[in-house]
Amino acid sequence: MTQKLDYKKLRLKGGLEIHQQLDTSRKLFCNCSTGMKEKTPIFTTQRKLHPVQSELGLTDAAAQFEYLRDRVFHYQAFSNETCLVELDEEPIHPLNSEALQIALQIALLLNCEIPNEIHIMRKNLIDGSAISGFQRTAIVGLNGHISYKGHRILITQVTLEEDAAAIVAEENGRVTYRLNRLGVPLVEIDTGILEGYSPQELQEIAYHIGIMARSTGKTKHGIGSIRQDVNISIRNGPRTEVKGVQELGLLSKIVEFEVQRQMKEKPKEETRAANLDGTTRFLRPLPGANRMYPETDIVPIIITKEHVENLKKNLPEPWTNKLERFKTKLRLPDGLAREILGSEYLNLFEKIVSTKKVEPTVVASTFTSIIKDLVRREKVEIDRISEHRLVEIFDYLQDKKIVKESVPEIVKYLATYPQNGVGDALKELDLNPLTIADVREIAKEIVSQPNMAFEKAYGIVMSKVRGKIDAQEVMKIVKSVMK
Amino acid sequence: LYSQEIESLLKSKKIKIGDKVLVTKGKLEHAGIIMPRIEMGDISSFVIKLSNGYNIGIKHDRDTNIRRLETAWRLSQKKNPDVKKLVFDKALPSISIIGTGGTIASKIDYRSGGVYASFSAEDIANQIPQLKTVANIKAEQIMEIMSEDMSPEIWIEIAHKVAKEIESGFDGIVITHGTDTLHYTAAALSFMLRDLPVPVALVGAQRSSDRGSGDAVLNVFCAANFAANSSIAEVCTVMHAGMDDNFCYAIRGTKSRKLHTSRRDAFQPVNDTPLARIDSEGGIEILNTNYRLRGDKKVKVDDKLETKVALIKIYPGMDPSIIDYYIEKGYKGLVIEATGLGHIPTLNEKYSLLPKFEKAMHLGIPVVITSQCIHGRVHPTIYHNLRKLFTRGVIFAEDMLSEVAYIKLMFALAKFKDMHQIKEFMLTNIAGEITERTLSKDFVVK
Repeated sequence: MTQKLDYKKLRLKGGLEIHQQLDTSRKLFCNCSTGMKEKTPIFTTQRKLHPVQSELGLTDAAAQFEYLRDRVFHYQAFSNETCLVELDEEPIHPLNSEALQIALQIALLLNCEIPNEIHIMRKNLIDGSAISGFQRTAIVGLNGHISYKGHRILITQVTLEEDAAAIVAEENGRVTYRLNRLGVPLVEIDTGILEGYSPQELQEIAYHIGIMARSTGKTKHGIGSIRQDVNISIRNGPRTEVKGVQELGLLSKIVEFEVQRQMKEKPKEETRAANLDGTTRFLRPLPGANRMYPETDIVPIIITKEHVENLKKNLPEPWTNKLERFKTKLRLPDGLAREILGSEYLNLFEKIVSTKKVEPTVVASTFTSIIKDLVRREKVEIDRISEHRLVEIFDYLQDKKIVKESVPEIVKYLATYPQNGVGDALKELDLNPLTIADVREIAKEIVSQPNMAFEKAYGIVMSKVRGKIDAQEVMKIVKSVMK
Repeated sequence: LYSQEIESLLKSKKIKIGDKVLVTKGKLEHAGIIMPRIEMGDISSFVIKLSNGYNIGIKHDRDTNIRRLETAWRLSQKKNPDVKKLVFDKALPSISIIGTGGTIASKIDYRSGGVYASFSAEDIANQIPQLKTVANIKAEQIMEIMSEDMSPEIWIEIAHKVAKEIESGFDGIVITHGTDTLHYTAAALSFMLRDLPVPVALVGAQRSSDRGSGDAVLNVFCAANFAANSSIAEVCTVMHAGMDDNFCYAIRGTKSRKLHTSRRDAFQPVNDTPLARIDSEGGIEILNTNYRLRGDKKVKVDDKLETKVALIKIYPGMDPSIIDYYIEKGYKGLVIEATGLGHIPTLNEKYSLLPKFEKAMHLGIPVVITSQCIHGRVHPTIYHNLRKLFTRGVIFAEDMLSEVAYIKLMFALAKFKDMHQIKEFMLTNIAGEITERTLSKDFVVK
């Protein structure tokens, strides 16, 4: 229901904050797993938060007290994923150096300057999502930029922080959080004020920044692993911050809705949360800058020139380049190129297309649609198939021992019998490819039956040869036989 | 705390901590406030607070230049606000909160990043608004001593202050204290404050109180409520019972011990049931009826201590000549934290401590045996090699904590010279330090 608006005339200003979880084995300040796999809490602990200065943009502790008075926060602890550190019962351990390396790589990919010394700060939060009452965060990069359509997009800062606990439920002042997300390393990338861009372009810029972070190959995948906040204002009006946009595709819609809301209502400086339909809801007033103070439990980290030079020498290929390469060299359509970039099979895809003579689009779509569909619709346990078995499928495709239509059946077979190979699947499933002559024989017999129109004949032939020959080929054969 | 070079550079440019400055390095510029340098890190880097509140460190080198822009703030030196009394409701009991160190209330200065301890009644009441429902308060910080720097002299000073406050009519006393040795002070006060007519609560915090999640709020609220409204006229520690912010235990001062380095429920009773449970909503539930009731007696301070007492832990491979050191140095009493039921090495000549203990006792130095098991009671006659010692007068201190036996022996030595009298005193329950029956529920492994 969005109308076309002239965003330039409205002087739309957007500011992006991209949050990306890092895929380290351990958390930022303790040795817990970052897996977030556990479903059942091992216990729950309850806590209260007390007023501190300057949070909520309120200097008045009484107002905070009102807010916090009847709130009790319940924190769920999970096996392997929660220790005394997340429970706020043990001082933090030294900063995870793996996370720091990845964060510095991201900052350098975004052309940032690296501070000589990294200072961990405490940012007060009173919504309970940080059990300690604050989130630890540190600047790892400043004054960077990326280019987008020939424009220079300013990256004001890159921070490395601990992810907050995820909310489970809230009713009658009883708020429940899961502690397994708390402490997962998170990189936040902030842009400068983006003026003169449409909502769609803002979304594109967010996408480009996101894939720069993912270039490190050490970022988490899946829902919630990347989250965008967007600051929006029009006509130099007050700024609102919409938090927690989990799906990038929603970002332009959220901006559109928010612009419309700001045109209709009298906007206030506030923080809003993104709804699933792209609309937003009031969350709290905008927090002030004055809610930071130093984390005194660990010492500042010195980053030497040599360290930075060494990181610069070994930077991974930026995914913005990779995206271009997929589109030009591998001739992947834009959508498919983006999908495979976002896929957990990216590395395997690259390995296969560089070693096998199989159409890159076939390889990409095997991972992005066929396997995804099998997992989603048919609950195929894809993790049971080892990587070399997946590669074997493409060996067979390369040698034309199977047709691409047979891939879903083979994948299903391999997931059921992980110890068997593709050859076994062909035998068991009778999927050896048919020659054109074989199909022509079958087609002739079908067509010779009475009242056989093309669609019907094609359908019957397909049902007999599916997975053993290319569907396009079948269509050609049936047509030629009917002539 | 910056390097000499930076200090003199700042001085020459008339830049003071808290000034807004512009630091340039090559083509790059950072405007922000120059911050005090905290102890650790690179002292030749400027710490700059950017406008969004983040700090970064910028190395001072040949390419770096710093220029003063304006004054942003000045370091405040203000400390120790005046003693203040707050009366919320005349019908409420009144308590005195005595500060010995650490913080209950604290203020964060977001400009400097500093956390400032505050001990005004007003700041405490602001931070713990529920206090006004349980007591009128007076707050006074009498010293600023870290827990690990406490000493017998300071225990005495605290005891006299408590007595003075009780005499001036307060219905209960709260003492805020660092946590590391809080149980030593609790035990010392338990022995010193004789004929105690009101509750005395020792309270600390395992988390710093600048954070929204600090445990001080519940601990101090419960301690204040306990001091003001409970019928228990004993010295108790009052802190979190478990990891939840929902209730505290009042634990007898001679039976409380710090059993965890960092958890908020670090203080647990040893060989005793907590005296009371104090709820976050204000309820007080008695859990152990064996306690001293409030009364009208005048409190007396027994402040005679013989401090030449050593607390020595036994371990495999221990060199017995360690005991000679104490004897030569003129120690008047030894508390031996023995293994298990109260054992020491005896069979191997190289390691046997028997001759040393015999020597000590021969010289009139009492030897008191406790257990490093922490929980449970020592037993003098199970292990036949020790029976000899027992008959010669080694004192097996029942279920007393080692730390408590150490303090109690200081009192004993100040009172008596005769070994039999010392033994009798050590084995007589004075302040709840010896229980007659050990209950199965009093061994809590979390």
